[in-house]
Amino acid sequence: MKLKAILLAAVFSLAALASSCSGGSKGTTLTVMGKKSDLEKNYMTRIFELYEKKTGNNLKIIAFEDSEFEIKAAEKFKNGEKPDIFMHFHNSDLDLFDVENDFYMLNDEAWTEDLTESADAYCRDKSGNLLGLPFWENSVSGCYYNKTLLKSLGLKPAATQAEFDVLCQALCDSGCEPICWPGGGCSWMAQFGLDPVFADDPELLESLNSGEISYKDIPEVADMLRWISEAAEKGWLGSDYLDCGWSDISGKMASGESAMTFIWDTWFYTDFEQNGKYTVDDFALMPVFLNTAESGTYEGGNLNMMMVCKGGERLEEALDFLDFCATPENYNAAFDGISTVSCFKGQTTNIQSKMVTDAADSIAEHERVSTAASRIVGYSAEDVLKAINDLLRHKTDIDGCIAELDEYRLSEAAKNLSSN
Amino acid sequence: MKKRLIKLLPAVMVFIIAAAVAVIGIIYYNFISLRIYEDSTDHLQEIYGQVNRSFGAFVERNWGLLGEWGDFFAAQNDPSTRDAEISSYIAEKRDYWGFSEFCFLSEDSCMTSNGTIIPGGLEKTRTELLSENKPVMSGESGDGQDQTVFAAPVERGEYRGFGYFAVAISYNNADMASSLKVDAFSGKAKCFVVHSSGEVLLSTQAGGNVFENYLTYLGGASDLDDRELADISQDWATGAQGLKQCEIGGESQCILYQPIGYRDYILLSVVPQSAVSAGFLSVQKITVYVLVTIFLLISAAAITAVILRARKQSHKNRTELIYREKMFDVLSISVDDIFVMIDAESHTVDYISPNTERLLGIPIQDARKDIRALGRCAVSRDFVVPKDELEKIPLNGNSSWECEYVHQSTGERRWYKMTIYHMTLQGVRKYISVMSDRTREQQMNQKLQEALNAAQSANEAKSNFLSNMSHDIRTPMNAIVGFSVLLEKDADRPEKVREYTKKIAASSQHLLSLINDVLDMSKIESGKTSLNVDCFSLPRLLEEIGIIIMPQAKAKKQDFRINLQGNPPERLIGDKLRLNQILINLLSNAVKYTQDGGKIDFNIAELPNQSRQYSTLRFTVKDNGIGMSEEFQKKVFAPFSREINSVTNKIQGTGLGMAITKNLVDLMGGIIGVESKTGEGSVFTVELTFAVPEDEGQEAWFGGKVSKMLIADDEEDICRSVEELMEDVGVEVSFVTDGDAAVEEAVRAHDSGSGYNVILLDWKMPGTDGVAAAKKIRERIGADVPILVLTSYDWSDIEDEAREAGISAFMPKPFFVSTFREALKPLFEPYSEEKEPEAEPEESPMKGLHFLVAEDNELNAEIITEMIEMEGATCETAVNGLEAAEMFEKSEKGRFDLILMDVQMPVMNGYDATKRIRASSHPDAAKIPIAAMTANTFAEDVRDALASGMNGHLAKPIDMKAMRELIGRLMRPEISDKETENEA
Repeated sequence: MKLKAILLAAVFSLAALASSCSGGSKGTTLTVMGKKSDLEKNYMTRIFELYEKKTGNNLKIIAFEDSEFEIKAAEKFKNGEKPDIFMHFHNSDLDLFDVENDFYMLNDEAWTEDLTESADAYCRDKSGNLLGLPFWENSVSGCYYNKTLLKSLGLKPAATQAEFDVLCQALCDSGCEPICWPGGGCSWMAQFGLDPVFADDPELLESLNSGEISYKDIPEVADMLRWISEAAEKGWLGSDYLDCGWSDISGKMASGESAMTFIWDTWFYTDFEQNGKYTVDDFALMPVFLNTAESGTYEGGNLNMMMVCKGGERLEEALDFLDFCATPENYNAAFDGISTVSCFKGQTTNIQSKMVTDAADSIAEHERVSTAASRIVGYSAEDVLKAINDLLRHKTDIDGCIAELDEYRLSEAAKNLSSN
Repeated sequence: MKKRLIKLLPAVMVFIIAAAVAVIGIIYYNFISLRIYEDSTDHLQEIYGQVNRSFGAFVERNWGLLGEWGDFFAAQNDPSTRDAEISSYIAEKRDYWGFSEFCFLSEDSCMTSNGTIIPGGLEKTRTELLSENKPVMSGESGDGQDQTVFAAPVERGEYRGFGYFAVAISYNNADMASSLKVDAFSGKAKCFVVHSSGEVLLSTQAGGNVFENYLTYLGGASDLDDRELADISQDWATGAQGLKQCEIGGESQCILYQPIGYRDYILLSVVPQSAVSAGFLSVQKITVYVLVTIFLLISAAAITAVILRARKQSHKNRTELIYREKMFDVLSISVDDIFVMIDAESHTVDYISPNTERLLGIPIQDARKDIRALGRCAVSRDFVVPKDELEKIPLNGNSSWECEYVHQSTGERRWYKMTIYHMTLQGVRKYISVMSDRTREQQMNQKLQEALNAAQSANEAKSNFLSNMSHDIRTPMNAIVGFSVLLEKDADRPEKVREYTKKIAASSQHLLSLINDVLDMSKIESGKTSLNVDCFSLPRLLEEIGIIIMPQAKAKKQDFRINLQGNPPERLIGDKLRLNQILINLLSNAVKYTQDGGKIDFNIAELPNQSRQYSTLRFTVKDNGIGMSEEFQKKVFAPFSREINSVTNKIQGTGLGMAITKNLVDLMGGIIGVESKTGEGSVFTVELTFAVPEDEGQEAWFGGKVSKMLIADDEEDICRSVEELMEDVGVEVSFVTDGDAAVEEAVRAHDSGSGYNVILLDWKMPGTDGVAAAKKIRERIGADVPILVLTSYDWSDIEDEAREAGISAFMPKPFFVSTFREALKPLFEPYSEEKEPEAEPEESPMKGLHFLVAEDNELNAEIITEMIEMEGATCETAVNGLEAAEMFEKSEKGRFDLILMDVQMPVMNGYDATKRIRASSHPDAAKIPIAAMTANTFAEDVRDALASGMNGHLAKPIDMKAMRELIGRLMRPEISDKETENEA
C-alpha cells in the first residue's frame, strides 16, 4: 500500500517535471477569467502563486464583479476574447455559453481518476462530458441537527420522511422550533428538495429545459410545496420563517432555539457562532426531507470548475495548468487547512467535518449532485424563494405558486437567451 | 311598568327555559363525560391488557423457540450433516415463525444463518447475554432498520466453523409493531415497548420511531410535572401498571403502562383522550346534539310562532298606522288645522300635516327640513316657540299661543291658536303642536267689529243727520211759519203778501228739495234706483248745466268755465237725467264751497277707447274753494257726511249730495274720485262710459254756403279743436289768436275776394275782445258775413251791445258742431223754420172738469180742492179708496172726468181702489183717467200705479204746473195712451 502511494507520487512528480520542462510553456502568460470574489479565495491565490512560482509562467487574472460576471463574460466570449482558463459554477447549465464550441472537453485527462464521484458528476454536462476541473471548497448540504438537544428531548434523528414528520411534531410538542427556515433571505432550501427529482431522472430535467414540460407537470414539485406550506402551518418552521435570514441561523442553532436546519457542513466553520450554548460538536447530519425523497437527500457541493477554452493559442499550456492544479502536491498545498469535503481522492490536507464523516454511509447512499440550481435553465434560487414566500404569505395557492415558479424560470431563461 | 313586564314576559320565560336547559345540559354532559371517561379507560385497559398478554405470549414463545433450538443444535452431533441440518432447520422455522434473521453469537461477532459473519454485530445483545447469561430481548439497529432481538445462551457449539455460545432471532420492528397495533381508537393509538429507563425498544408510532427515550420525551413534551414523571418512573421501575392523563402538543393524552412481564420492559400505550372516548363521545355528542336539536327546534318553533305573531301584530299595527296616517293626511288636507310633531331633544320634525303648504304657502319639504321655515310667514312672532318656553311646558301638559300668519303665496292672513302638548311617545319626548285655524272666527270678529263700527258710525251719522235735518228743516219751516204769521198780519198789503208768499214758496221749495234728497238717497240705498237710458245730446246737456250753474256762479262772482278737450261724440246713449244730477251736484257743491270771486273749471275730455261704439268721458270739476281735509276726503261719499267747520256750518246741505252722486256713478258703472287740500280747493273726477249711437250721416252745410270760416280765440287748443271738427264736416277753418288778427284776416280775405262765410270770435280775448273785433270787421267788410261770439259766460248783459256791434248770434262754449249748426241755422235758412204763432195766454186744461179726489188727509184734501177750484174745476172727495170706488160706482156715467187717487189710505189703498174701479161695471170704468196723487215718488211707485190701472202719477206736494201738464195730457186720450206706454 505504501509502495503504491510512493509510486503514484513519483508518477505525478515526473509528469509535473516533464510539464515544467517543456520549453514551449516556459514564461507563457495564461489568462484566467472568473468572478472577482471567487478568484480572491485564498486557496485560489495559493495555487496561482504556486503555479507561477513553479513553472515560471504568468497568469493574467481577468476578474469581473460578481453582479456582472455572467453578462460580461458572455460578451467576451461573444467578441472572441476568450480567456485560456474560465472559472464557472456550472449554474444554469452554462446556457449563456456555447459549451460545445467554447470549451475543451476534459474526459481524457489523467487527473479525472482522482476526482471524487460527486465532484466528477458535478462537472459533467448532460452528455457526460467533463467540462472542467473542480477546484473549490466542497461541502455536503443536508439537514444538520442538534443531536445533543434531540437526545435531551428523548428523540433521535429520522431516517425517513415519515419519521422526519414525527420528529418535527415531537420537537414542536417539546417546545422547540424544529427547523430553522431562513426564508427571509436565504434561497437554497428548495433546491435540496428538487435535486432528487431531477438528479434521479435526467430525462425529466431535459424535458423541463427543452420546454416540453413545466413544473406543474412534475408532481414532486407540488409535493414539496405542499409539505413546506403545511410545515409552516404546523409550526415546524418556527414563527419567523419569513423574516429569518442568513445572520439569524447561527444564533438560533447555537442557542438551541432551533433543532435543525438545512445547510452545509462548511457553514459550521465559517459562519456558525462558536460561543453559543451548543458547539459544532453537538451537531450531526441527516438527510434533508422535503417530501420529494422518502429516505431524504443530501446535496453535493456546488463547485467552481476550471475550464479550458477552445480555439486559443495556449490550449496546451492551459491543459498543463489544469494538470498542475490536479496534482496532489499542489492541491494539497492549496487546500491545506481548508474545511472542505474532498474533491480529489488524494486530498489529505483539508479539514473534513466529523458530521460528514459520521454520516458518510448515509451520504454515500442519499447524496445527489447539485442539480436544480446548476442544471435547470432559468433557475433562480431568489425567484424560487419569492414564489414560496408568496405561498407562505397565502398570496397564492399551490397551483399559483407553481405557475409563479414556471413564470420566473421561463422569464429568466428568456433573459439569458436575449443577452446571449 | 306592568305593561312592559307583561311584554317582556315571553322573553323572560324563554330565557329561563334556555338557562334551565343549559344547566341541565351541562350537568348531564359532565355526568355523561365522567361515565364515558371511566368506561373508556376501562376499555383502554382491557384492550391493552389483551395486547400485553399477546405480546407476552409472543416473547415467551420466542424463549421457547430458542430453548428448543438450542436443544436441537446440541443434538446434531454428526459433523457431516450438522451444518446442513441446522441450516435447514432454521430455514424451516423462519418460514414458519416469520422472524427476519437468525444469528449465532460469539463473544465478539455474530454469524447469520447464511454464514455471514458480522464482526461486532448485535453488540448490545451480546453484551447483555454475557453479563446476565440468560435470555435477553434487546433493540438493535442495522441496515437502516430497527430490530428487536431475542437471544438465549445455548450449549456452546460450532456452525460452519463459527463457534457460538448463544443464538438469536431478530424481528424487524416494523413487523413487530404490527402485533402491537390496535385498530381501535381510530388508529390514533401509539404503543411502545419501553425499558423501565424509558428507552424505546419498539414503537408502533406511525411513520417510524424517532423516540429514543419516551420518559425523557414526556418530560419535555408533556405537561407532566417532575413529581408525576417520578411517579411514572417509579411505576416502571417497580413493574406497576398505571394510567395517566397529560397534554402533549396541546392535545389530551391517556398514557397507559403495564409491565410485559419480562425483565423491566413496559408496554406503553399513548392514546389521545378524544380517541379513547371517541365512540362514547360520539354517542354522547349525538345525544346532546339530539337534545339540543330538539330544544332548538322547539325553541325555533316557539320563537317563530312568537315572531310570526309579533309580525302579524306588527303588520296589523303598521297597516293600522298607515291607514291612520293616510286618513289623518286626508283629514288634514280637508281641514284648516295644522299638526306638527317635533322631537323634544333635537327639534327635528317627525310629522307635519300636508295642508301646511296650502294654508301657509310654505313648501312642505322646507318645513320638514327645518320647522323654523314656518317662522317666515309669522306676522308677529316666530312659529318656533323658543326652546326655553317649550321646556317650561310640563310633561303631559300643554300651552297655547295665538299666532297670525301671512300666506307666502297669496298674502292671505290666517290666525291660529297654537297648542303645544308635551308628551312621551314610546319613551321619547315629543312636542305635538296643534295649530287650530281661527281665521274664520277672526274674520267674523273683524266683520262684526266693522259692522259694529259701521253701525255706530251710521247711528252717529243718522244722529248727525237728524240733528242737521232738524236744523235744515226747521230753518225753512221757521221761514214758512214766520212769513205765514207776517202774511196774516200784512194781508191787506198786497206787496208784502207777494213778498211773503214768494219767500214762503222759496222756503217750501228748499224744504222740498231736502225731502227729495232724503228720499232719493233712501231709494238708492234700497237698490230701487233704475236708469232711464236714452239717446241724448252732450252739447244740450252741457248747455243746460251751464244755464243752471252759471247764474249761481255769477251770483258769487265766480269764474266758471266749461272746457272741452278733444272731440267727444255729441250724441251719447245714457241716463241724461242722472248724469245731469251728478254733474249738477258736483258743480253746485263747487259753487257752494268756493268763495266769492273764486274759479271753477268744468272740463270734459274723452279718454282713449278701443271701441268706436263706446266713449269714455272724464268730467272734472275743479275749484279753488275751501277744499277738504284728508280725513273728510275718506268719507266724503258716505251719506250724511258733512265737514264741520266755520264755513260749512253756514252752508245748507243734507250731507247726502255726494253720497247720491257716488251711488249714481256706481250705478252707471263709472268711477268717481276726489283730490283736495284744505284751503286750496278740490278736484272731483268722474269717468263714465256711454254707448255712441250710429252716425246719422253728414248733412250738407247749408248747401255749400258755409265752406270757409275764421275763428279767433286766445286759446289755440280751442281753435285747433274747432278746425278739426269743422274740417270733418267739409268746412275749411282758419284761426287767429287775438281780436286784431281776426280783423286783419277777415279784411284781408274779404279784400282778396275769398272772404270767409262765417266768423267766430271769442268774447274775452286779450286786447281787442270779440265784440270790439266784430265791430271793426263790420266796419270794414259790411254786414254780409255772419259773426258769432263764442263764450262761456252769460252774455245777457252784453247782448244788446253786441247786437249793435254787428254780432249775428251767440254761441256757448264749449264748441260743438251741432250747437254751431243750430246757431247758424237762422242765419243761413231764415225761412226754414216755421215760426209758431205767438201764443195766447194759456187756459188751464182743468177748467170745467169735475174730479173725484180720494184723500184721507183732511188738510191735503182741502188744499187739492182749493187748487182744483183755482183752476176753474170742481171736485168731490172721498176719505179712503173704498169710499172713492163706491162713489164712482154709484155715479152716473160721465159724472167724473178724472180721479185723483191718493195711494196710502186707510180701509182701501189707492191701488186696490183703482183696480176695483177698473173692474166695476160702471160705463166709465175702463176709460176714466185715474192719476195717482202720492208722496211715493219713486219710479217703481209710478210703475205700480200704472200697473194697478192708473194713467198717471202726480207727486206730492202737488206742483200746480205739473198737475196742469198731467191733467192736460190725460185729458187728451191719444197722448195719454202714449205716455202710459212710455212709462210702462
